[in-house]
Amino acid sequence: MRNRHHYQTENEISQQKRLFRARIYFALAFAIVFFLVLLGRMTYLQWVGYNHYHSMAEGNRISVEPIPAVRGRIYDRNHILLADNQPVFVLRFSKDKIQSISDTIHRLHDILPDLPEQKLNKFEERLKVSSKYRPIYLPYTLSESEAARFAGNSYQFPGITLVAKLKRTYPFGSAAVHALGYVGKINQKEYAGLNESRYAGTDVIGKLGVEKFYEPILHGFPGLQQVETNARGRVIRKLETIPAKPGKDIQLTIDIRLQEYIEKYLDGKKAAVVVTDPKTGDILAYVSSPGYDPNLFVDGISQTNYQKLLTNHNRPLINRVLNGQYPPGSTIKPFVALAAIENNIISPEKQIYDPGFFEFKDHRYRDWKRQGHGLVNMNTAIAQSCDTYFYELSLDMGIDLIHDSLYPFGFGHHTGIDLYNESIGILPSKAWKKNTKGESWYKGETIIAAIGQGYFLATPLQLAKATSIMANRGEVVEPHLLKGMAEPEKEQIPIQKIKNWEEVIQAMVDVMHGSRGTARRYARDLPFKIAGKTGTAQVFSLNEAEYDEENIKKSLRDHSLFIGFAPVEKPKIAISVIIENSTLKAAPVAVDIIKYYLTELHDEN
Amino acid sequence: MKIDLPAKEKVYRQNKGLLVSLHIDAWLLLGILGLIVIGSLIVFSASGADTEVLSRHLVRVGFAFALMILFAQIPPNLLMVYTPWVFAIGTIMLASVLLFGDIGKGAKRWLDLGFFRFQPSEIMKLALPMMIAWLFAHDTLPPSNKKMLVGIGLVGLISGLIIVQPDLGTSILIAMSGLFVLFFAGLSWRFILSAMALVAASLPIIWNFYMYDYQKQRVLTFLNPESDPLGTGYHIIQSKIAIGSGGIEGKGFMGSTQAHLEFLPESTTDFIFSVLAEEFGLIGVAVLLLLYLLVIARGLYIAYQAQENFARLAAASLVMTLFVYVFVNVGMVSGLLPVVGLPLPLLSYGGSSLVTLMVSFGILMSIHTHKRLLTS
Repeated sequence: MRNRHHYQTENEISQQKRLFRARIYFALAFAIVFFLVLLGRMTYLQWVGYNHYHSMAEGNRISVEPIPAVRGRIYDRNHILLADNQPVFVLRFSKDKIQSISDTIHRLHDILPDLPEQKLNKFEERLKVSSKYRPIYLPYTLSESEAARFAGNSYQFPGITLVAKLKRTYPFGSAAVHALGYVGKINQKEYAGLNESRYAGTDVIGKLGVEKFYEPILHGFPGLQQVETNARGRVIRKLETIPAKPGKDIQLTIDIRLQEYIEKYLDGKKAAVVVTDPKTGDILAYVSSPGYDPNLFVDGISQTNYQKLLTNHNRPLINRVLNGQYPPGSTIKPFVALAAIENNIISPEKQIYDPGFFEFKDHRYRDWKRQGHGLVNMNTAIAQSCDTYFYELSLDMGIDLIHDSLYPFGFGHHTGIDLYNESIGILPSKAWKKNTKGESWYKGETIIAAIGQGYFLATPLQLAKATSIMANRGEVVEPHLLKGMAEPEKEQIPIQKIKNWEEVIQAMVDVMHGSRGTARRYARDLPFKIAGKTGTAQVFSLNEAEYDEENIKKSLRDHSLFIGFAPVEKPKIAISVIIENSTLKAAPVAVDIIKYYLTELHDEN
Repeated sequence: MKIDLPAKEKVYRQNKGLLVSLHIDAWLLLGILGLIVIGSLIVFSASGADTEVLSRHLVRVGFAFALMILFAQIPPNLLMVYTPWVFAIGTIMLASVLLFGDIGKGAKRWLDLGFFRFQPSEIMKLALPMMIAWLFAHDTLPPSNKKMLVGIGLVGLISGLIIVQPDLGTSILIAMSGLFVLFFAGLSWRFILSAMALVAASLPIIWNFYMYDYQKQRVLTFLNPESDPLGTGYHIIQSKIAIGSGGIEGKGFMGSTQAHLEFLPESTTDFIFSVLAEEFGLIGVAVLLLLYLLVIARGLYIAYQAQENFARLAAASLVMTLFVYVFVNVGMVSGLLPVVGLPLPLLSYGGSSLVTLMVSFGILMSIHTHKRLLTS
């Protein structure tokens, strides 16, 4: 075999040469074609794609790190801090420097035993799937001793850095929470509507209340730090810095001392209290009771705590001032009476006989006083809260006159408060019923509307606004929470005879100070005069479906209402109080609040 | 076997220049030096101007260069005599890697001989094609079908031993180096085409039963690198950014931001081409490809000129293997092919592949210069 090639024929040799030559040529052609493919690919990347890849390379290299703006603080009217930013310690994880995630988390728990295991496990899962090149924060704020302990052991934890962050805190806890609101982690939906560059570096946003309404003012503008980074996100050098513009501090009209006084007084009962300065519309106290601690929400509330708030029978999450829609009951009577005398439907002196009921079309409309009030004029009708007087008056007025007269007082539409999602209640009219129910109006419905029942619904805030307008003798003010707001031109409800207003106000004074006033026993020995009106509202407002039996009984009790202002001659305070299910009488609560404000607080100012 | 130089050659050496007397082919040398110079520059740049890395690289280059010259002195006949022995030893080493091999990166590829760690598959890059060439050395081409089948059997044996290490990339490349010999020996086109069809048809089976998850992942990532931008796809995305942002003229020597800022992984080894493309642009890439083409064309010419079947087939196969390495590496870093761990010949920083490569150049040179001697 070794020598076989010696016997190759000439023909065989030339044939073999041809074959080999062909294969060599083919191989060379093959190599050239494939190199051309590579060159084509390079041309595509480097010529056609140059702009694209060039900008990507720049984006790789230059990273813009946002510097979050410090959120504006919130003060009360006396410059007491209601919302502050406190430096807190959090842990930042740089995943690329962490050897074993589960081991690290495990050892971390040894150092920080108070850290809830559930939170830690959840975070571990998140860390495992998160990007290697972006730092993420453990959603837990370390106490000072924990921070110190971690700092001492930090050599054991490469890839974890202790960093100080500013965290929103509410030093008064639950006080005024429904006005203040709170900040919380920006959610997916909120992100969609955000100007991303404005929120770069920030992970919280105002969720409710003033925090949400004044978000654009409080938030400020982030600064920028342009840095050159490597692939691990490590900053190699700083290129340019634009400092952040901090959010503006704001001052609220709330007097936190009055606010806390009222909240303590109510002691977690279901109630709403709005106190305003009728001259300016400043809201001095905004109480929706019970409240809850907004600090719980800042870092994201735990499922357990949130469930607790949700299932609480007293429904602390409901903003009763803004969204509680109650039948105003008898508190509406002074406004109806004023409308009647202003429109010459009746004269204040005209007496009506009240046998304890009013009959219309075979139906008896009962007065709250079974035996009746006897002969009543406008003053006594308001002071004693005679229903029959208003039943009869309402038929002479008609629902549309009642609607048109009460509308300027703020019923049935937004009060203009600087909060979102205000409910507007219902100020019924023929048109309203046609539009919403598609039915025509019945006169019987006018009768109960005149005493604030039936379709009529108002929010505590609307009652407060209406009361302020009454106290101002027709000058309309918009209730608001931001102090020092530029006030729009104040509107004035057209007045036929100023005497009419004084008549009604005198009747309200007699509610408190008259010999037969419904609230006379609460207003003895006051150094000033209050004009007020009590009310009772039948319950069917808030959803009571899930209440247990005992609570159903309780919840079927009427609500107790009160509106009022003082001092009568030169009002400094207007108030509306609604206490659900009459766990307290609204009138004495209001009187105590007024007394506290006028004698203990207002004198200081 | 005893080497004694005929008196004729001694005279020849004295009369011709240094290159000839050292059995060095000038064209190949030009191409190789050009590539090595470029490679050293890019290694220096990609390492962040680390002179220590550069000097280590140059020491290896020098060592490999010496080996090339050494092998150039060995006449092809002598190489042919040793080929079966080297092949046998290589096969035994491959088998023992499976039994006693060092585990590195989850795969048994190295043999620890105490004084140095050794990757037997490197030997096979040379030994397998030479063994098959040896098999056909005295036949009239094309050889009989029976011999072709023996050749295919050897390819299957060796690539099989490597594939279970597991090292799919190397196994495929070594298989190709053996198959190239069969191709140059005249394997019929009909057979080649039907074999290719068979491979294509069996791909789904290989995918389902013979591929590891990480290998599947690489293929999937190759098909859609953006699906895993921070995992396996990250390399390719960053590499494409590096290449593309180089533009036509490049960012200039030492101007690679992608590599210097550590976006580009393995910038001195497998992804060194991306650094070159970023710094020297399309022009640099074209020059590089031309240099490779010069080496390949010269290598094929050497094979064409060779008189003996063994020399012919071994030379042609070694050249085409070089071509495949270049094509696969550049195709990989530019996103044309899936990521397989494979250096760029003569440019990448790193030892064993450079040594193997330079030895194969030495063999090529030996084939060329000794042939010339014989015919002169």
